Amino acid sequence: MFIPLSWLREYTDLPAASQEVADRLAMLGFPVAHIVKRPHITNVVVGRIRAIERHPNADRLQVCTIDAGDGAQLTIVTAATNVAAGQIVPVAKLGAKLPQTTIERRTMRGIASEGMLCSPDELALPPEWFEADGIMQLDDSLPLGGDAVTLLGLADDVLDVEITSNRVDAMCAIGLARELAASYQLPLRLPSFENPGGEVSLRARVEIESDDCLRFVAQRFENVRVGTGPARVRVRLALCGIRPINSVVDVSNYVLLETGEPLHVYDAAQVRGGTLIVRDARQGERLVTLDGAERTLGPSALVIADAEGPLGLAGVMGGERSEVNDATSSILLEAAIFAGARVRRTAQLFSLRTEASMRHEKSLAPALAEIGAARAAHMLLALGAHAGVPQVAGSARVQHQAIALMTGEVERLLGLRVSAQRITDDLVALGCTIAQRPEELSVTPPPWRNDLANDADLVEEVARMEGYDAIEAAMPPIAAPEISSREYDVERDAAFTMRALGYHEVITHSLQASAGPHAVALRNPLSDEQRFLRTDLAPALFARLARIGRPYRLFEIGHVFSREEGIVIEVPLLAFAFTTEPNDEPPWRDREFLRCKGDARELLCALTGRCPVVQRAERPGFHPGKCAVVLVDSVEAGAVGRADPRVERASGSSLPLYLAAVRLDRLPERALPHYRPASRYPSTYRDLALLVGAEVSAQSVEAATAQAIGDICTAVRVFDEYRGPQVQPGAKSLALRATMQRFDGTITDEEADAAVTRAVDALQKQLGATIRT
Amino acid sequence: MPGFSFAAMSELTEKLASLQQRLARALETAGDERALEEARAVYLGRSGDVAAIRRSIGRLPAQERPLAGKEINDAVAAMEALLERKREEIASRAIDTALSERIDVTFPAPEPRLGSIHPVRRVIEDACAYFERHGFAVVLGPEVEPDYYNFDALNIPPEHPAREGFDSFWVDETLLLRPHTSPMQIRTMQLHRPPIAIVAPGKCYRRDAVDARHHFQFHQIEGLLVAEGVHFGHLKGMLTGLCRALLGPYQNVRFRPSFFPFTEPSAEVDTTCPKCGGGAAACAMCGGSGWIELGGAGMVHPNVLREVGYDPKRLSGWAFGFGAERLALARYEVDDVRRFIDSDPDLLEQLA
Ligand SMILES: [Zn+2]
Repeated sequence: MFIPLSWLREYTDLPAASQEVADRLAMLGFPVAHIVKRPHITNVVVGRIRAIERHPNADRLQVCTIDAGDGAQLTIVTAATNVAAGQIVPVAKLGAKLPQTTIERRTMRGIASEGMLCSPDELALPPEWFEADGIMQLDDSLPLGGDAVTLLGLADDVLDVEITSNRVDAMCAIGLARELAASYQLPLRLPSFENPGGEVSLRARVEIESDDCLRFVAQRFENVRVGTGPARVRVRLALCGIRPINSVVDVSNYVLLETGEPLHVYDAAQVRGGTLIVRDARQGERLVTLDGAERTLGPSALVIADAEGPLGLAGVMGGERSEVNDATSSILLEAAIFAGARVRRTAQLFSLRTEASMRHEKSLAPALAEIGAARAAHMLLALGAHAGVPQVAGSARVQHQAIALMTGEVERLLGLRVSAQRITDDLVALGCTIAQRPEELSVTPPPWRNDLANDADLVEEVARMEGYDAIEAAMPPIAAPEISSREYDVERDAAFTMRALGYHEVITHSLQASAGPHAVALRNPLSDEQRFLRTDLAPALFARLARIGRPYRLFEIGHVFSREEGIVIEVPLLAFAFTTEPNDEPPWRDREFLRCKGDARELLCALTGRCPVVQRAERPGFHPGKCAVVLVDSVEAGAVGRADPRVERASGSSLPLYLAAVRLDRLPERALPHYRPASRYPSTYRDLALLVGAEVSAQSVEAATAQAIGDICTAVRVFDEYRGPQVQPGAKSLALRATMQRFDGTITDEEADAAVTRAVDALQKQLGATIRT
Repeated sequence: MPGFSFAAMSELTEKLASLQQRLARALETAGDERALEEARAVYLGRSGDVAAIRRSIGRLPAQERPLAGKEINDAVAAMEALLERKREEIASRAIDTALSERIDVTFPAPEPRLGSIHPVRRVIEDACAYFERHGFAVVLGPEVEPDYYNFDALNIPPEHPAREGFDSFWVDETLLLRPHTSPMQIRTMQLHRPPIAIVAPGKCYRRDAVDARHHFQFHQIEGLLVAEGVHFGHLKGMLTGLCRALLGPYQNVRFRPSFFPFTEPSAEVDTTCPKCGGGAAACAMCGGSGWIELGGAGMVHPNVLREVGYDPKRLSGWAFGFGAERLALARYEVDDVRRFIDSDPDLLEQLA
């Protein structure tokens, strides 16, 4: 919200420096996003054009005689065309500083000009919002000769203040001034909140038919002249970023910015039956709102209506039918309080967000309605209108409940010792009324504060007044609770293991464009590109590897989502993938697959302390002949393999892709390893070369060998495979080494040979192997 | 080799002397350990010359044999010494040769074998490690959460205006992608008895337009401490320590009043801009303000404590939720949050 410092200064005596005020607001909880610097302007006064003559030597120039107050008279030559005798205008005197220039004595075609009449642009105001065609027009509410810079607040900076949603009371000049005055412990000068309207003959009538209207002040004004509003009002609105419209609309906007109460003004002549009715809209009713849009309503919308139909959306936007125009002379003013939730629903329904709805939806204090009407009445009276008696409808004014505050709560929650007297002073400065008992205060929040509901809220108020900086930093006493960090530990260990294995971690989008039948869709995606939750980590890894275009290793740890029988299933997954240089391996061998499998095994060993079992398998996304699953404690923990060639092609990668995916939620707790001393006796080994069918797995050969050798077998490892012209088709040659060792003595050659004979026998019987010699 | 035959001691002495001379000559050309072993085999080996002489000793008269034995042993010792001297000479020459080698130590090493941890995870990990040192546990939770955990239990009932501040992605009527990690406050307190001391890092989602500072997908680090006697000063203490642990020992931390429905009092937390050290007008990181916004914090709202069955009169606590990307941007001087998701090798390797 933009607020000129000059406006705040009207209510309290703030420090001169805008940065100092901005810093104080920030430390009160109202950060200033930025300070809009106003240019340095001096020596511009309020003047009156007493007479105008044609310039004798120039057709396009006029010579004005200006009353500059205190009998001073100036001769000023101007090229402006919108000037006329009697006008009150801003006059830059000799020596005046304007944003673009300094005014000096100039002789124009033989006549000395003793100053300049200023256009809005020259006073750093948006000309399109003011007199776009020439000299800015002031009015007789300003004293002749008075300093226009001060009177209009032209040179005071404007603060762009952010206001949290709980502090709708501070979304206005008076609200912010109140906070600053309390913080600086300065007196606050508020304008009169008494309604001056008293003409009994001017009656406004209002009927409330909905519980969502808490209060409604209606007031009738006659003899209203709709025209250009007073300069002071127009300038303030413009500095706040609001475009001046006309004298009446400007009043309602001004009061909104001044008090926070949104007002609406109806052309009384257009209100059929003369009564404003607050009610639910009827199905199919139509309303053309002020933005020109025709809207079809239903009962969920709350409207203000007359005998004919809806006049406006309550708390959101008025309608065209009763809009004030130049011919309007009689108006009905609405100052109402609506239920916040109802206004929000109505605004959302029509995708309308206005200054009024933004405030109403945060639930305004009911007391504000009468204040808003009173302020508007003062301003309209000053413009010459006659004011009727305000008609107040709705529930009686509700007094806030008193809150009990144990004074010890302040120290308990803040760690800051504040005396009961000081707590009282802080809260009173903010407008609370306090009844004091020993160690307990009974605090009644001021009517404008809807956000103070319990003692913790009051503790925050004390903290704001004392300043958060006053609270000393301290280290907490922590009795370590027994909460497990296991899931996190697994993730962290997994990440660091992958790093040690040479993989780089990426974080990719969880939202993606397309997905399979079980994908979870978003109801309100930002775009079609991000409509679904990912079901898999692989596509993003593949896409990145394809983009990198050279052999590289990536991993990601993240959640994947699916919907099964209506339930959203969320699984923590680790996926790693790599590309290699293209290789020309025979179709029955793939060393990169083995590397992938090896990395998966090392990861799982590190995370679980167990050696996973690998089994041939087929899984979607993987090459059907180059895929395996890894099992830990008989649970399938993941899959490894080469990417399906179709997937590879679709990914755009020119290099072979390998992938492993591990379910982090399926890993058992890490088994503690136990030390077994090594045998003191030497080990021995025997190498074997066998011929087996191509379909016989190395794993089964190793297992059969180990089983046949028995207890003395410490390792069996197949270390070579060969297929080709040296062996018959459908067969392969394997080389394996069996290592043997005893704990109770050295293995003899005879013993080792006998073991190998057993193994050969078993391999022949179980797997149809023949020994190659 | 035919056995030596000699008739007298004099002949023996002469023979031994000649063997020694021949060995000395043979060693002159010996250049390595193998040549030494060969020479040793010829002269001193089992079937070598000295052994042959020893075998012939029986032909001498019995009274001369002890003397002959002694002469042989002396000769063997002398020859062994000769060999040893030569061995020593060869070894020291080898060392001299080794010492004279010179390589180009600046020649490039093979490609690195270590991969990398993503900078955002690194920030999370370092933050969690800091809290773990102080007795906090680290807990993780789901990203798709019911509105109960996201809002209702956190004192944000339906129709509360604050819900709009969390512009969320909805999955169905009651399920959404969590817009903050605060649901973990509720989950943890419902599962465990106080005292509670946890951090909960994780992904969050909001319907924010993507730019250099914002992304619809980001990470938060949530913290929660609930026990008797916990106050706002402790929040300042812990978070100041966190900023110093992550960004450097001279970091300052600023707390400003703010509003969150689930904390009271509430604060926005800023830390000194680590790039300019606070308030350089042209600083691109902080825009000249001198401060980096980290996120929200505050004392757990009594309604939240009540919701999980804790007594707000006896227990108090604080919570905070910081943006991990914010911290990573400041820590690594990265100019655009989108780079964290693009994850180019360039970024990963530089920040490894
Ligand atoms: Zn900076």
